[in-house]
Amino acid sequence: MKRWIVLVLLLSLCLSLSCNQNSGLKQMTIGVSFETLQTEYWVAGFEAIKSELKKRDIAMLEAIADGDANRQLEQVNNFIARGVDGIIAVPKDAKTIIPMIKAANAANIPIVLYNRPADKTDAKSVAVVADNPGITKATVEYMCEQAKKSGKKYKALLLMGDLGDINAIGRRDGFEAAVKGYSDIIEVVARVPTEWNQEKALAGTTNALQAHPDINFIFTSSDFLFPSIISALKNAGKYKKIGEDGHVLMGGFDGDATAYQMLKDGYLDADGVQNVYFESEAAVQAVLDLKAGKTVTDVIRDPGFVIHQGNLNEMSAKMWGAQVKK
Amino acid sequence: MKAFSKQTLNINRLAAPQSAIRNPQSIAAGLCLLWFLASIPFTPGLTSSNNISNIFSNLLPLLIVATGQTIVLITGGIDLSATSVMALTSVMGALVMSGDQGLLGGSAWAVPAGIAAMLVAGALIGWLNGAAITRLGMPPFIVTLTTMMFFSGLAIWLTKSKTIYNLPPAFNAIGKGSLFFIPYALLVTALLVVAAHVLLSRSLAGRWLYACGHNARAAEISGVPVGWTLTLAYVCSGVCAAVAAVLYTGRLETGSPVLGQRLLLDVIGAAVIGGASLFGGRGKIVWTMYGVLFLTLIDNTLNLAGQSHFTMMMVKGGVILLAALLDVLRRRGQ
Repeated sequence: MKRWIVLVLLLSLCLSLSCNQNSGLKQMTIGVSFETLQTEYWVAGFEAIKSELKKRDIAMLEAIADGDANRQLEQVNNFIARGVDGIIAVPKDAKTIIPMIKAANAANIPIVLYNRPADKTDAKSVAVVADNPGITKATVEYMCEQAKKSGKKYKALLLMGDLGDINAIGRRDGFEAAVKGYSDIIEVVARVPTEWNQEKALAGTTNALQAHPDINFIFTSSDFLFPSIISALKNAGKYKKIGEDGHVLMGGFDGDATAYQMLKDGYLDADGVQNVYFESEAAVQAVLDLKAGKTVTDVIRDPGFVIHQGNLNEMSAKMWGAQVKK
Repeated sequence: MKAFSKQTLNINRLAAPQSAIRNPQSIAAGLCLLWFLASIPFTPGLTSSNNISNIFSNLLPLLIVATGQTIVLITGGIDLSATSVMALTSVMGALVMSGDQGLLGGSAWAVPAGIAAMLVAGALIGWLNGAAITRLGMPPFIVTLTTMMFFSGLAIWLTKSKTIYNLPPAFNAIGKGSLFFIPYALLVTALLVVAAHVLLSRSLAGRWLYACGHNARAAEISGVPVGWTLTLAYVCSGVCAAVAAVLYTGRLETGSPVLGQRLLLDVIGAAVIGGASLFGGRGKIVWTMYGVLFLTLIDNTLNLAGQSHFTMMMVKGGVILLAALLDVLRRRGQ
């Protein structure tokens, strides 16, 4: 045992000396901490940041917290101990990120929050977020216009996210603002709180369709809930293409590969798309600007866009879900 | 004669691995040292004072909850509810202390009352587990699995899935403040770990815990109050989980209904890597300390070396599996 330890010690010393000799060529390093990689959107965002950093010859340290805020705190502390040049984080939630921002501030390391802003705090960070209310409102307004053209009355179902998440609140508010202007033709009969959980989305949609079999307008606050919605609609015999009798007007938010396929196949009417490429580029640029001492606005908004049957060919090149699909 | 030779050969075959695996402490300590030294060349910043302090700050709460788990494992049981105790006590404390919605928010009594509520809740859940196992004769696995589900659900229901912020600064300081350069978390952990070590190695109750783990029936015949002893183990585990929740919640400045949800494998894994037996009757707090240190080192070094999350999960899973295999080999050798 003793001989082993001495051997490893000597080997380590030799190797660390050789590493130290190369340390004069220090490459800029950014720590990227994601709360989860459980949905396509987060994977696409993660890959987009990785390729953006590679493009700029910046090394990346990655950490996935697996939904655990404490683990994320430890990982961010690891980045700080390593002396990274900047941190990009997708927070577990708006509150638990605050001690991490404070720790980064104390170490004078710029920190940028990707897609989820922090709660109100004195700690300094920059957030790159989609214009959730704006993109949702535009998407739902397009759906409402389609409804108006049909001349029919509509009963609507809204699938909300986790209302502790400011993005979910923004999307709910965008939906409510849009349908308010069409109250003569659209009545919202069910609002399902999914807490970003596919099982809850399936149970909630099934229950809503049983209580209101005449639901013919569905909007989901995230595309990753579409498989649950499709399953519930199929069970109720209501999953029909646009133009077919009994088609349910459908819209979503994110722009993932499932939504793209549904648009292509003619089942989905419209989708609000977060521009992952814009957000990742803006996040990296913000870290570099902060590092360089430049002033950066607290919130950088991704204006996003609406993709629908009318502009599918034209806009699909910008839709990240379409690129993932390729 | 032939049969005798064959038997002798088998014994000789077993002798070598047995000698290598009989001392869990040296294996766990050796693993920590080897991993640390071997990681130095590939992990920039590993030996910096900031990072060493970071490693210790990360391992303290995990060590507390693994200490409770070790006591339960020694009795031959398992406590799967430890992480849900952490989540529930985290939100209970926050519901008492929070300046936004806490029962005693803003009061001078908020912090002591909040911590007391957390510890009492942890002890009560531990007692409930112990009572179900000893009085109703239910298996520890199913009892603690169901209490894990129940109390995790209760934590989410109490908060409607929301995290609770605006906790008193005095409480948050327990998680990340220090007294004359000594972190409060270190003081709390040292106190609890020493108490657990004394309980196991210097007290009659400690001997009873090991006796129950070796053979509960024989222990009962020898006059050990088996029911009381097993209940004590689960109460210790509940209290340890609650103390860990105090540190985690203070560090995050937030009461969370999903606190520690993904920590269970680390908790049990640390105790097993340290040499605590899944079959009972074996384990020491010092051994568990090495197990916790090893898992924390894996997280820290792979993270600093830029390894992916999936690599970390595979390495940790592999190490815990090997530790469980060693446990089986030790048992066969007994």
